[in-house]
Amino acid sequence: MPASTHLGSQLVDLCSVLLLLCCFAIVAQRRLSACVDLFALQSAFLAATAALVAFLTGHKHIYFAAALTIVIKVIVLPRILRKVIERLNVSRELGMNINIPAGLLICGALVVIAFFITQPIIPLGYLLTRDSLAIALAIILIGFFTMIARQKAITQMVGFLVMENGVFLGATAAAYGMPLIVELGVFFDVLVAGLIVGIYTHRLQDAFDSVDTSTLTVLKE
Amino acid sequence: MWSMIVLLTGPVLAGFLSLVIHRARVLHVVNFSTMLALAAAETLLTRQVLAEGSVTTLGGFVYVDALSDFILVIITAVGLSCSLYMWSYMDDRVARGIIAPKRLGHFFFLFHMFLFAMVAATVANSLGVQWVALEGTTLATTFLIAFFRRRESLEAGWKYLILCSVGIALALFGVVLTYYSSVRVLGDASSALNITALIGVANQLDPNVLKLAFIFILVGYGTKVGLVPMHTWLPDAYSEAPAPIAAMLAGVLETVAVYTVLRSKALVDQALPPEFTGNLLLTFGLLSFIVATLFILIQHNYKRLFAYSSIEHMGLAMIGFGVGGMVGTFGGLFHLLNHAVAKALAFFVAGNIHRRFDTLEIDGVRGVARAQPITAVAILVAGCALVGLPPFSPFVSELLIVSAVAAQDFASDTMHVGRFVTMTISDEMRSLGIVALFLLFAVVLFGGFMFRIGAMVWGTPPAGIAQGESWTVGHVPLMIMIVALLGLGFMLPEPIQTLLTRAVNVIVVR
Repeated sequence: MPASTHLGSQLVDLCSVLLLLCCFAIVAQRRLSACVDLFALQSAFLAATAALVAFLTGHKHIYFAAALTIVIKVIVLPRILRKVIERLNVSRELGMNINIPAGLLICGALVVIAFFITQPIIPLGYLLTRDSLAIALAIILIGFFTMIARQKAITQMVGFLVMENGVFLGATAAAYGMPLIVELGVFFDVLVAGLIVGIYTHRLQDAFDSVDTSTLTVLKE
Repeated sequence: MWSMIVLLTGPVLAGFLSLVIHRARVLHVVNFSTMLALAAAETLLTRQVLAEGSVTTLGGFVYVDALSDFILVIITAVGLSCSLYMWSYMDDRVARGIIAPKRLGHFFFLFHMFLFAMVAATVANSLGVQWVALEGTTLATTFLIAFFRRRESLEAGWKYLILCSVGIALALFGVVLTYYSSVRVLGDASSALNITALIGVANQLDPNVLKLAFIFILVGYGTKVGLVPMHTWLPDAYSEAPAPIAAMLAGVLETVAVYTVLRSKALVDQALPPEFTGNLLLTFGLLSFIVATLFILIQHNYKRLFAYSSIEHMGLAMIGFGVGGMVGTFGGLFHLLNHAVAKALAFFVAGNIHRRFDTLEIDGVRGVARAQPITAVAILVAGCALVGLPPFSPFVSELLIVSAVAAQDFASDTMHVGRFVTMTISDEMRSLGIVALFLLFAVVLFGGFMFRIGAMVWGTPPAGIAQGESWTVGHVPLMIMIVALLGLGFMLPEPIQTLLTRAVNVIVVR
C-alpha cells in the first residue's frame, strides 16, 4: 500500500496509536487522579495528531482546533476534574462492575470490532489519515465501555471525554476536521458538560456522601 | 427574517433577564410575554413557509422548511401553555417553601436556555450545529430535572446527563461520517454539512458510509427520543422533573429528537433504498411499543406511567415513519403533534394531583373526581387520548399508522438475519403479523392504562385531603388542550394540513 510507505502517514498512524494506548492505560488504572492525567496525555497526543495533519495538508483551521484542544482538554478540564477529586477526597476506585483483566480483554475485542466495522468505508478516505478512522471508532467504543465498567462519577466523565476525543480524531482523520463553527460548538458543549459535572458531583456528595454511582439505586421499577 | 431573529434571540434575552429579576410576578410576565412573542413570530414564519416553500436566512445558518416549521409549531404551542401553567405551579412551590424564592430566576434562566437550544436544533441548517444544540438541551435540562434537589431527583439528573451525553457522542460520530461522505462530493467546504447543500447531492453520497452514519445517528438521537433499549433514563427523569419541565421534555424535546432522526432519514433515503432506514425505524418502534406497554402494566407511580406511555407513543410514531409512504409518514407526523398535546396535558394534570395529594404513588391517590373536579376531567381526557380512544385526535393518527402498516407493500420479501440465515416471509404475513401484534398490545395498553387512571379518579379521597378546586391561571392551558385534542380529532385546520402534507414530502423522497 503506498500510503504506509509515506512518512507523514506513518507519523499520523503512530500518534493515533498512542491515543489508543492511553485508552488501554485508563481502563487498567484504578487511581482516579492517574485516570485524569492519562486523559490529559491523550488529549495532548490528539492535539499533536491534529497539528501534524494541519502541517501535512496545509489546512490552517486544524491548527486552531489543536490549540483549542490544548487549552480545553489538556489544561482546563483536567484541572476541574482534579479539583473535584481533591475536594471529594476520593483517590481509588475499589468496586468495579468488570475487573481490570477482563476489561482489557474486552477492549482488545472492541478494537477488532472497530476495524471490522470500518473495513468497507476505509478505502474512501484520504491516504494520509484513513487508518485513523478505525482507531477513532475503537477509542469511542472503549470510552463507552469505560462508562459502563466504572462506578465513580469522575471516571464516567473521563469515559465520556475519551469518547469525545475519539470522535474528534475521527473528524480529523476522515474529513480533515469539521467546519469551524461546529468544532467551536462542540468544544463549548464539552466545556459546559465538564463544569456541570463539577457542580453535580458536589451535590451528589452532599446528598449521598459519595460519588459512587452504584449508590444511585433509589429509582427503579 | 425578523420572525427568525425573534425566535432565536427571544429566549436568550428572557433567560438572562430572568437572572436579574427577583420578583416572581415580573418573572412570570416576562416569561409569558416572551412565549407570546415566540408564538406570534412562529405564526408569521409559518405564513412565509406556506407561501415560499422554505426559508433560508441569517447568512445561510438557518433553514426552515415545512418539516422544521411544523416542529416549531409544536414547540411554541406547548411552550405557551407551559408558561401559563408554570405561573400557578411555580408560585405554589415557592409558597410551600419547596423552592427558595431566589431560585425562581435560575429556573426561568435554564428553562429559556432549554427553549433556545430546541429552537436552534430545529432551525439549524448545519447538521453539526443541530448536534451542538441538541447536546445543549441535555446540558440545560440536567439541573431542571434535579431542581428539587432531592436524592431521587439528583439520581435521575445524573443518569440523564450521562446516558444522553453518551448517546449524543455516538450521534456526533454519525455526523462525522456524514461529513466524511459529503466532503468527497462537495469538497472541503464549511457548507458540506448544510441541509441545503446535502439535499441536492445526497444521491451521490457513498451508501456504505451513510449506512454506518445512520445507525450511529439513530442510536444516538434515539437515546434522546427514548427508544427501547436506550430508554432507561427516561422514566426516572420524567418522574423527578417538575411537572412543567416533564411536560416540555415529553411533549417537545422528544419531538425535536425525532425531527433530527427524520432529517438524516430524508438524506439517507436518497442514497439507499428506503427499506434500509424504514426497517431500522420499524424494529426500534415496534420494540419500544411492546416493551413500554409491558412496563405500563407494572407501574405504581403515575408520572412513570405517563413516561412509559411516552416511550410507547414514540415507538408508534417510529412505526409510522418506518412503514413510510404518504399515509404512514403523515400519520407519524400528526401523531407527534397529538402526543405533544396529550402528554403535556397529562403531566400538567400530574402536577396538579401531586400538589394536592403530595404523593406520586397511584395507591395514595383516590377520588380525584371529588377533590379536584376540573383536574379529574382533564386526566380522563388525557387518559382516553393516550390509549387512542375516539373522538380524540391520537385515535385518528394511530388509525392512519395502522392502516399504513396493513396496506404496506414490502419491496423485498427476504429478510436477512445476520449474514447466514435468510428468512422468506410473504408480504401479507409480515404486515398482518405487525398489525396483529400492534392490536394485541393496544388492547393490553388500554386495560393497563385505564385501570390505573380509573383507580385514581373514582373513590373517596383519603382523609385530610382538601376537596373542591378553584380556577387558577394554570387551568386555562388544560381547557385549551382538551379542546385541541377534541377538535383535531374531527378536523384538521387547513394551514396545518398543508404544512403536514408538505412536511411529508420533505421526508418521503422517493
